[in-house]
Amino acid sequence: MADIFQNQLIDILPKLRVQALALTRNRTRAEDLVQDAVCNALKARDSFIPGTNFAAWMHRILRNRFISDLRRHRATTDIDTLPGDLLATKPDHEDRLAIKDLAHGLAQLPSDQREALVLVVLQGMSYQELAEVSGCAVGTAKSRVFRARRQLQTWMMGELPEDDRLREEAAALRRRLERTGARKSEEVGKGV
Amino acid sequence: MSARNRKSGSKGKKDRQEDDAFDIWLRRGLHQLFDDVVNEPIPEDLLKLLEDGDDDT
Repeated sequence: MADIFQNQLIDILPKLRVQALALTRNRTRAEDLVQDAVCNALKARDSFIPGTNFAAWMHRILRNRFISDLRRHRATTDIDTLPGDLLATKPDHEDRLAIKDLAHGLAQLPSDQREALVLVVLQGMSYQELAEVSGCAVGTAKSRVFRARRQLQTWMMGELPEDDRLREEAAALRRRLERTGARKSEEVGKGV
Repeated sequence: MSARNRKSGSKGKKDRQEDDAFDIWLRRGLHQLFDDVVNEPIPEDLLKLLEDGDDDT
């Protein structure tokens, strides 16, 4: 029969998945990360002090697991060069292009900023909790969220992320099509 | 209040409105991107792992 510890673990799984996806940008890796973090938590359950913040404890375990995996794999794989599954999203809303832009922007952010933004803005975590999860000062936690938000806002307002070849090519193509369209209109106007 | 202060006050208000609008849009966008993941059922192997963990105690 599940005890309080396991029930707490089950309750927090959806939030752990979001954190894992924010960190890895890949659904399969996110699922693996959650599973590994749950394994670690089960092994370390005696170190959890009942009555303390279980969510922060669990998010910290997942984060530490991500960092240790990253260190292990860095020799062979650069995670930031992997395409993000986030870009494959297909929302059925009229603003799906803007959402794709958001996904693209998120993928460009450093993983600690992406994680901080998602935990605070989406999951409503306090800066104090974020600091606890991330093992940093509250000021640093605030700064991560602020920088992520400001950077996304800058990109969403029209400034492209650096090294964004695909979007630059799309913009160039759009300009070319506009020029072609304008030329055709002129020709029609002249009766050509 | 000088004309300059009034102008900067009005600019500040406009910036805040833009920030608020962006925050609303950002929160909504994040929900669109991540809510699927939140609502997915728990994989069987993860449930098994939790059950096995329970057996160990």
